[in-house]
Amino acid sequence: MLLKYALRNIKKRPVLNGIKIVGISLGLCGILFIALFIKNELSYDKQFLKAENSYRLTATSRAFLENNHFARFFAAQDLPVLTASIPEVEKFVRLAPIRGKLIKHEEQFYNIQQGFSVDATFFELFDIPLLQGNVKTVFQNANSVVVSKSLANNIFGSTNPIGKIISLPQGHFNSTKEDFQISGVMQDSKQESHLHPDILFMPGKDKIKGWAYQYLLLKENANPELVESKLSLALTNIFADDIATDKNVVNAHLMNISAIHLQSDLFREIEPNSTMTNIWVLVIAALILLLIALSNFASLNLGMAGYLSTFLTLNQILGSSKRFISSYFLIENTLIVLFSITITLLLMNPLNALFYESYQLNLLENNELFIVLIIAAVALLMIVAGLQPVLKQRFEKASLQKRLQKDSKTQVHKALLITQFSLAIVLLVMVVVISEQTNFAMDKALGAKENIVCLPLVHSEIQKDFSLFKSELLKESSITSVSAMMDTPGSETHDMFSYVLQDAPETEPGSNAIGVFAADYSFAEVFGLSFLGGKNFTHSNIDEPGNGEYLINESALHQLGYQNPQAIINKQFSLLSPVPGVTLPEGKIIGVVKDFHLSGLQNKVEPLVLFKRENSWLNSIVISYSATSKREALLSLNTIWSDLFPEYPIDYVEVNSIYKNVYKTELLQKRLILLFALISIFVCTMGVLGLALMITQSRYKEIGIRKVNGASRTEILTLLNRDFIKWLLVSFIVAVPLAYFAVNEWLEGFAYKITISPWMFLFSGALVILITLLAVSWQSYRAAIQNPVKSLRRE
Amino acid sequence: MLLQLHNIFKWVQQGGQRVFLLKDINLQVEEGEFISIMGPSGSGKSTLLNVIGMLDGFDEGEYNFFDEPVHRLKEKHRTNLYKQYIGFVFQAYHLIDELTVYENLEMPLLYKKLKSSERKAMVADMLDRFNIVGKKDLFPSQLSGGQQQLVGVARALISKPKLILADEPTGNLNSQQGIEIMELFKELNEEGVTIIQVTHSENNAKYGKRIIKLLDGRKLN
Ligand SMILES: Nc1ncnc2c1ncn2[C@@H]1O[C@H](COP(=O)(O)OP(=O)(O)O)[C@@H](O)[C@H]1O
Ligand SMILES: [Mg+2]
Repeated sequence: MLLKYALRNIKKRPVLNGIKIVGISLGLCGILFIALFIKNELSYDKQFLKAENSYRLTATSRAFLENNHFARFFAAQDLPVLTASIPEVEKFVRLAPIRGKLIKHEEQFYNIQQGFSVDATFFELFDIPLLQGNVKTVFQNANSVVVSKSLANNIFGSTNPIGKIISLPQGHFNSTKEDFQISGVMQDSKQESHLHPDILFMPGKDKIKGWAYQYLLLKENANPELVESKLSLALTNIFADDIATDKNVVNAHLMNISAIHLQSDLFREIEPNSTMTNIWVLVIAALILLLIALSNFASLNLGMAGYLSTFLTLNQILGSSKRFISSYFLIENTLIVLFSITITLLLMNPLNALFYESYQLNLLENNELFIVLIIAAVALLMIVAGLQPVLKQRFEKASLQKRLQKDSKTQVHKALLITQFSLAIVLLVMVVVISEQTNFAMDKALGAKENIVCLPLVHSEIQKDFSLFKSELLKESSITSVSAMMDTPGSETHDMFSYVLQDAPETEPGSNAIGVFAADYSFAEVFGLSFLGGKNFTHSNIDEPGNGEYLINESALHQLGYQNPQAIINKQFSLLSPVPGVTLPEGKIIGVVKDFHLSGLQNKVEPLVLFKRENSWLNSIVISYSATSKREALLSLNTIWSDLFPEYPIDYVEVNSIYKNVYKTELLQKRLILLFALISIFVCTMGVLGLALMITQSRYKEIGIRKVNGASRTEILTLLNRDFIKWLLVSFIVAVPLAYFAVNEWLEGFAYKITISPWMFLFSGALVILITLLAVSWQSYRAAIQNPVKSLRRE
Repeated sequence: MLLQLHNIFKWVQQGGQRVFLLKDINLQVEEGEFISIMGPSGSGKSTLLNVIGMLDGFDEGEYNFFDEPVHRLKEKHRTNLYKQYIGFVFQAYHLIDELTVYENLEMPLLYKKLKSSERKAMVADMLDRFNIVGKKDLFPSQLSGGQQQLVGVARALISKPKLILADEPTGNLNSQQGIEIMELFKELNEEGVTIIQVTHSENNAKYGKRIIKLLDGRKLN
């Protein structure tokens, strides 16, 4: 019977109940997807069976690389000795990145995405399932190689790849061609991992040297902190030849592999990671959305309770029990929530498909229980929230008779409303700040310039022919300039050389260091660097002693002890190459450029010396083209490439998209939070619309009386909107410090950040106020133009 | 002449048909008159009063108020006109429940944009005149029907209107309370205020100097 009443009452007010349902469904959808996304972020690398005991080993010391913390280690060959003395270390695996992007099979080159030379123990830590081959034996023989399913498909199509030969071509990174035999095919790595190798080479026992990522498998009950200190000691022993000093002491760092995705932000990560901050931002967004949805539902229920007052009171007078009212509202709320859940379930799959399309995330998969739990939890909260104020405020105090007499004036729960508005404003401020910061970063990053493509890490054969390639390209009118550089834009370059500068105080040779970057002489042109003083490299200059040309950035100017760019121009300068057999010519500083970002904005711009090189160290080619002729430029690039280098596949990316990848998490976060802010504001607005509807309805008579007594339309509008404006202003005042605190925390993570300015708050506040007032005024206006005779006759 | 209705028609469309609420009403009211409108329920008395009070429009005819052609005025102008000259009293009092007696009285003055000191003086004056100073901080629900109607009348008078329109002002009151209100009207009329009241009671109607009878939206005499 109650069910019938409840259904009938819901049907009687389709608009208001519709608003409730839409509000809850949107809130539920939003919270569900945030929860799923966060769960996904937290699940990184947990798929590996031994994840719990697998750690990445890194080390820092003032002696190497100025304490800069790298995700990989420069002396991987020492790892066996290092770990031999530490019983807690059960296994280790080293992953030395393959720097070239090419492999060869039967005279044909193929691109690879992420390749490593690994120890035979690889699959014991990272148990990526093998589709072909046996885990125990794939790496039994030296020079065996395992490829991913997609790479195998790409090279071999449907033929069986096992036993086929793949080679690392001779080139810049390998002195000779090296052959490997395919011994296994592995599944493509799961998306939720900090590494996605598509090829793994096993060069043989202990062939790995130099830079490599190092992972340790510890014994079940090992204490990682203890192991860490043992490793620190052992490392210090190896690297501090005589006595350990402040300067040469080495600190080992262990990080569980499942923490890497969210907590590791070192130099030279395998892939850009996410951060805990992102998770917190999303958690906050989800909580805000939940609170908004809850308080929206509660305040609409409270407002609507008036409509049912007579119905319920009459029932009670006619003898129903006291529990009747509670049961009635319980049933009504449950019905509303059930409708909302139905809508959520209907929306879930299309939304997931959308997510999958944009981010290759299938959030729903294998999460049935989690989804049910989240929905149940939120639903329960909703029902409780919907029930609470109604019972408390409305039906406990007044006597039966009073309730019948008093005509039903809509109640507005100010605290709920203010909470909602404040939260919406906070969320909006977050959106504004996050998108401003992201735009700022993208603009400031070197490659934020449009119209540049990069051919990353080209083969050394091509590097040799760079001049020819360049001159051919420059014949095309669509191509404006061509340069080459030491690394891809957006990557971290942390090579540091010692230097000698004229008039600088004498130091021990080799004790100072400054960041260096080799480039072709057109570098400044391609990236449009602006000069603070001096000039660019001269085209005709050749590398000969005494004739070297060096450009420095602003930070380097300061590091070298100068403020005025002009003052340092033409000072004698030279770099001491640490690479045996390579010398850099002595010469002069010829120009100072403004600071520019080579890597992400999370890092500060390092002092940098640009020097010009020909034919070596220039592994990435960058090409700028005129904005209007992108198509022609790319077409010419393709034709010239296939004319000059027919056997190599062309691989180029827009520099913009490289940076976008560096800022992947920030961009995704920006999108998500924008989405949730929109949902929140929509839910808020709907709620306010509902309230305004109820309020104006309940004030119809009053409006009539006021009009009869001379109130104009404007005065009525003001009257109806005044309270809302008051509440909105209070909300704004509440929101400002909260939002300030939140965004300030968030910005902490950036070395270069926007300054928080008042307009961000004013804009967000004004937007929320405007939207709310529009919603309210729509109702108020209808009431204000109403013929007063009509509203007074309603008696 | 205060006001003049010429061949006023008012109708509503119901089921594709015109239902006439007022038919060919002609009426002239001089300043200082006291008119009672009578007629059975549904005969259009309230409708006529509302048309006179400019709360409601009409479909045909001419209406001049102080020689201003009401039918040609814009809404805003009309509002100004009745704000200035007309006070309304209703059967259901139509006080605002959330406002005190004092605030209810003050309301019309707010819309006339009077200064606070002026408003205070005028409200005090009214409270005094109607002997309700002691009740000024009470809410309408705390008053008897007669007292509420007193406040209703006081509110209608506060802006010193030239014309009072009263729609069954005593309809919800007992006869003693009704008499008090009628005496009050008589007094006001003697002071020069024009009064048009709708009433069912012959006794009350007699307070008027002229009686107009309505039947089915048509004036009988
Ligand atoms: N806007 C309207 N729409 C339809 N019918 C109306 C409207 N206004 C008044 N009426 C009808 O016109 C008739 C006259 O109403 P009214 O003037 O209130 O009568 P009285 O005050 O004499 O009792 C009534 O039958 C009423 O129902
Ligand atoms: Mg009537």
